[in-house]
Amino acid sequence: MKLPYSLFSRRAFLNSLIGGWLAALGAAFISPLVKYIVPPTREPDQVSLPLADVKDLDANAVQGFAWGNKPGLLKKTEDGAYIAFVGVCTHLDCNVSFVPAQRRFYCACHEGWYDENGLNVAGPPPAPLRRLAVSVEGDALIIKKQV
Amino acid sequence: MNVLHAWIEERLGLSAVTLFLEKKEVPRHKHTFLYYTGSSILLFLGIQIVTGVLLAFYYQPTLAGANASVVRIMTEMPLGWLVRSVHSWSSTFMIAIVFVHLLGIAFTKAYRKPREATWITGILLLAASLAFGFTGYLLPWDELSLAATKVGTNLPKALPVIGAWLTQVMRAGEDVTGDTLSRFFIVHVSVLPLAVLAFLGVHLFLVQRHGMSVPLEEERKGIKAPVLPFWPNFAFREAIVWLVLLGLLITIAIVAAPGIGPQADLMAPAPEGIKPEWYFLFMFQMLKLFPARVLGLNGELVAVLIMMAGMAALLLIPFIDNRPAERKGKIITGLAWAGLAYAVGMSIWSLL
Amino acid sequence: MNGRLRTVAAVGIFLLGSFVASGILEARVQETPQASLKPAAANMPGQEAPAAPRPARERMTVYVLLAWVWLSIAVLIGLLRLRVREADRIFRMGLNRAAEHSPKGPGH
Repeated sequence: MKLPYSLFSRRAFLNSLIGGWLAALGAAFISPLVKYIVPPTREPDQVSLPLADVKDLDANAVQGFAWGNKPGLLKKTEDGAYIAFVGVCTHLDCNVSFVPAQRRFYCACHEGWYDENGLNVAGPPPAPLRRLAVSVEGDALIIKKQV
Repeated sequence: MNVLHAWIEERLGLSAVTLFLEKKEVPRHKHTFLYYTGSSILLFLGIQIVTGVLLAFYYQPTLAGANASVVRIMTEMPLGWLVRSVHSWSSTFMIAIVFVHLLGIAFTKAYRKPREATWITGILLLAASLAFGFTGYLLPWDELSLAATKVGTNLPKALPVIGAWLTQVMRAGEDVTGDTLSRFFIVHVSVLPLAVLAFLGVHLFLVQRHGMSVPLEEERKGIKAPVLPFWPNFAFREAIVWLVLLGLLITIAIVAAPGIGPQADLMAPAPEGIKPEWYFLFMFQMLKLFPARVLGLNGELVAVLIMMAGMAALLLIPFIDNRPAERKGKIITGLAWAGLAYAVGMSIWSLL
Repeated sequence: MNGRLRTVAAVGIFLLGSFVASGILEARVQETPQASLKPAAANMPGQEAPAAPRPARERMTVYVLLAWVWLSIAVLIGLLRLRVREADRIFRMGLNRAAEHSPKGPGH
């Protein structure tokens, strides 16, 4: 179907083509910058602690360790096994502490409480503390992301 | 779309600007290409600001962290080396075009009345651009930049009375230390940008107010030179020039990315092969060649005084060359060519 | 005509030259072993400044980016030249001033 006259002027057509390609070029320039703006801070795949450091941990006691940029919490259970959590509150990312007298984890920001297995029991936290897998290999304690 | 235009127009009245741009005319003659230099400088300044902010996201301006943070940018941040390379090469491009702009204005004598104030703000902008280069060069805090900064900040010492004090102001003390780094950093990212914005505002206002200057020989012809409307004819041509420059910049930045040297050691002896950035080479060579004593005076003092006289002459050219069309003007043009040959020759010599 | 041909030739030569040069440099980079990966943590003083490290994966990204940049610049320059030619034609016909001389519409 032939049109009697053009739907848009030559000028408008050229202007939009130019604008479109300019946008494409702009995207080419901006895309590396977008990747640059967020630095790649990945969590470590695993952390190893020498056993000597944790041997003196009492039952039901907690020791801190570094999990990348976050605090990790290593706890020895009643029967001598090790469990580990990422010590970050699931509510709004504050660092939690362990209250030995109550055997619970406490988040001071909004008074959230987790029991000794990391389950959220009181306050605003919506989910339990994130667990990490602990295993003993040789003379080191290996703490990994839980699959 | 028209509703948006009407809304903005009622409140900001920006149509005054667009009308002005449509009326603005650019003369056509054999030196018209020089009119592209000013906006090209603006292009590279914009690139410097953007890449500079991005670099400042991760750069740490402390003695302990500076070099390590630059290494981090270049190795850990995705395409961080490219951001740094663009920043470094864009500074070279910008200062090169500043020189072309300066030479174009000087040789077409565009500084003559009524554009003297435009020239003066332009020279202030030149000084600010060179200061940007000088302060930026120290920030990676590697051996070469420390040595170059020591030499550069030593220069004012040659001046009588205020020399030693000036050097202390630049270095934040007697020697180049971590305090010097902090000082250079804040000058580079805060003081100089504000100064440039101020000078640029006045410079651009004056340029728009007086319009594009026409070279003397065209003026003497008596007839009005043929013109191009700025919008859209000249502006779209300018866009082509910008695109080519951008392409050149990114190609060179990728193909010849700069590296980073080992961290500066304040106690170590000077490394071999110190040299400043290319735009300071002619001054560097001049200082190297000057004899220790000239006519009973300290050689370095004489060299610094000659350089200052040259800078003063450059600043005041519109007032010195008050008769540009006559013999005096031709002599000054000859001197300008001689000065240019001197600067280029000295720069090349320093590289040999 | 001559001026335009010259600019096109200059741009073309530069494009060719930069591709050739980048090819040569690429070859040289591939020769230097491990220089293109992360530099050693400590540098002996007085050593040559290490070249900008370029992880292999990024290198492909960057060359693709460069090709895309030049392609879009070439297309844009072509389009802009058309637009400039149109703007010049309009100017020569005096049509950019035509709006001033047209009779005012209703409501004025």
